[in-house]
Amino acid sequence: MKPNFIQKVTNWGNFPVVEKEIKSEDSIEKIKDFVRNNNEVIARGNGRCYGDASLSEHIFSTKRLNKFISFDRLNGVIECESGVLLSEILEVIVPQGYFLYVTPGTKFISVGGAIASDVHGKNHHAEGCFSEYLETFSLLNENCEVITCSRTQNEDKFWATIGGMGLTGIILSAKFKLKNIETAYIRQESIKAENLDEIFKLFDESESWTYNVAWIDCLQTGKNIGRSIMMRGEHAFKHELPKKLQQNPLRLKQKFIPKVPFYFPDFMLNKWSVKLFNYLYYSKQQKKEVKNFVDYETFFYPLDVVNDWNKIYGKKGFIQYQMVIPKEKGKAGMKKILETIAKSGNGSFLAVLKLFGKENPSAYNSFPLEGYTLALDFKVNPKLAKLVSDLDEIVEEFGGRIYLTKDSMSKSSLTNYLRNVQNPKFVSVQHKRILSNSN
Amino acid sequence: MIVLGSNSEIAQAFVEKVLEAGEKYPVIYLLTSNHETAEKFARHLDVKFFQRTEIIELDLMREIDYTQLDEINSDLLFCATGYLGENTEEGLYNNKNTEIIIDINYAKLIPVLNFFAGKMERQRSGTLIVLSSVAGDRGRESNFIYGSAKAGLSAYLSGLRNYLFSRKVHVLTIKPGFVDTKMTEGLPLNPALTATPKQAAEEIYKAFRKKKNTAYVLPVWEIIMLIIKNIPEFIFKKLKL
Repeated sequence: MKPNFIQKVTNWGNFPVVEKEIKSEDSIEKIKDFVRNNNEVIARGNGRCYGDASLSEHIFSTKRLNKFISFDRLNGVIECESGVLLSEILEVIVPQGYFLYVTPGTKFISVGGAIASDVHGKNHHAEGCFSEYLETFSLLNENCEVITCSRTQNEDKFWATIGGMGLTGIILSAKFKLKNIETAYIRQESIKAENLDEIFKLFDESESWTYNVAWIDCLQTGKNIGRSIMMRGEHAFKHELPKKLQQNPLRLKQKFIPKVPFYFPDFMLNKWSVKLFNYLYYSKQQKKEVKNFVDYETFFYPLDVVNDWNKIYGKKGFIQYQMVIPKEKGKAGMKKILETIAKSGNGSFLAVLKLFGKENPSAYNSFPLEGYTLALDFKVNPKLAKLVSDLDEIVEEFGGRIYLTKDSMSKSSLTNYLRNVQNPKFVSVQHKRILSNSN
Repeated sequence: MIVLGSNSEIAQAFVEKVLEAGEKYPVIYLLTSNHETAEKFARHLDVKFFQRTEIIELDLMREIDYTQLDEINSDLLFCATGYLGENTEEGLYNNKNTEIIIDINYAKLIPVLNFFAGKMERQRSGTLIVLSSVAGDRGRESNFIYGSAKAGLSAYLSGLRNYLFSRKVHVLTIKPGFVDTKMTEGLPLNPALTATPKQAAEEIYKAFRKKKNTAYVLPVWEIIMLIIKNIPEFIFKKLKL
C-alpha cells in the first residue's frame, strides 16, 4: 500500500482549513476498498462549496471520475461520471444546441456536487432545482454496494441523496435531461431599483421571465435600503440576434481568463472599498433600463471570468451566507437583515437576491423554500461570528433557513433540516458540527 | 494516432488536447492491458469529439501479437506505458518487483517501440512521443531501479532519434517530473513542482508542434535536473535525494 497522505484541504471560502486524508481513484473496486476500510468518509468534487460540507476525516475526491458516458443528441439526455464539471458539459452540449436546465452561479462545480447540493439557479421560480431534470444516478452506499437510484428504483435513496450533502454515499455517475437552445445568447434586461419596495415589485412583475435575479447594495441605509439592479433574461432565438451573431449562434469566442495571482492583503477589502465598488457598479448603468444580448457566460457566470477570485478575500478566507425567508414575511425579513448588515459595516461585494418558486415536496432535503433568498460574502474577521449570529436570529424569527452548501458557522436550528442521511460511514465535518450543536 | 498505455492520465489528456486543437485522426488506437478502462475512455471520446477509436490488447508482460499490431498505421505514436513499482527497501530486494519495473519501463517496451519505429521508417514520416522520466537523468536513492530503466529508455530514444533523423521520422522524449496522477497518488509531492495531467498535455503538445527533441513539462524541472546532474559524485553520494 502506498502511504496515504494527509493534506491541508479547504473549500472555496478558504475557511475552515483542515488536515485530512484525501484520496482519488477511478476504479470502482478501489473506491469500494477505501469506503470499506474507513469510517467518516465524504465525497468532494471541485471544492466549490464554501464551508465545511465536503470535509471529513477521509475525503474521497471525485476528480478522477471525469468521463462522459453517453449523450443522446436526439432527446437531449447526457450521462457522465460525477466528477465531470458543468463547464466541461457546456463545452460539449452548447455547440449541439443544448443547455443545462439548472445551473448555479459558477460552472466550475461537479455533477456530484450539483446533486448533493441540489443546486438552484436564476430560474428556480420557473424551472425548480437540478433534481427536476435528473433521471438516474449510481450511488456507492454505506454497505459498499453500487445501486442505481431513480424515481422508480431505490426511490428512498434517490430523494435522500438529492440535497443530501453526500451523507448517503458517493455518487459515481448521473444521467440528466438537457434544455434545447437556438443560440448561446441571452436576451437580457437590467433594471435599476431605488429601494426594497421597487425591487420586490420588480420580482413580482418578472415572474413570467425564465431567469431573474437582483444584485443588491447591502451597505445602503434609510430610504435607499435595498438599492439594486434586477437582471432578467430569456434564451435568445436566432432571429432575434443582431446579424453579426446569427452566423454562428452556438459558438462563443474563446476568452482570456485572468487569474488572481495571490491572496490579497487584509486591508484591501474594507467598508470603504466595498462602498466604492457598489457605487461604481450601480452607477455604471446610467439608464433606468437597459436591454441587450449577452452570451451565456456573461449572464450566468459573471465571476468565472476571473480564476481564483476567492483570493481577494485574503488568506483568512470568507464565508458566504445564504438564507431563505418565506415569501409572506419576505419584505420585513429582508429589511431587517439589510439594516443589520449595513449597521455592522461588514459589507459584501456580491449580494444576490432572488425569489424562489414553490418547493418540490419530494425533494425534502433540498434547500429552497418558496420565498426570498439572499446570498452575501463576508470576509472572515473577529466581528463575523457576532454578525452571523445576529443574522441567524432574524432568519429564525422569520421562519427561514440556511443553505448548507454555503454554511460553515450558522446556528444548528437553521441547518439541521436533512432527513434520512444518518449513518456512521458517510459523515462530514459540517454534519458533525450541526449534530453536536443540536444536542 | 496510436496510444500505448492509453489508461495513463497524461496520455488521455494528450489525446483530448490534440482533438481540442482540431487535429483529425480517422481512428485513434488505444493500446492497453486494461480493456474496461479503455472502453470508458473510448465512450468519453465519442461523446466529446465524435471520435472513432479502436481498443487493442497490449500487455507488455505477455507475448505480443505483432500480426495484430501490423494492421494499424498512423504518423503519430504516443507512448505512456510505465510502472513505478515499489521503490522502498523491501522493493529493492524483491526480485519480482525489480524485474517488472525493468521490463515495463525498458526491456519489454523497446521491441514494441522498435516495431512501430520501423513502420514509420518505411512510410518515411511520423513522430514518436515517448514519456521517459526525470528519474532517468541521474540515479538517486529514492527510485533508482525505476530511474535506471528510464535512463535506458532515454538513451534508447536519443539513439533512435539520431537513427531516424535522416529517415524523416521524429522522436520526442518527454521527462514529465511530478504529475498529479494515479501513479503518484498518496506521494507527498510539492504542489509548486507538480503539474496536472491537463497542463502536462498542453506542454507536450507544444513541444510536439515545435518539433522539440526533449522536453520537461514544467520549466522548473529543467533547472532542478541541471543542478542535480552537476553535483559532483563525492557530494551527491552523501545526499538524501
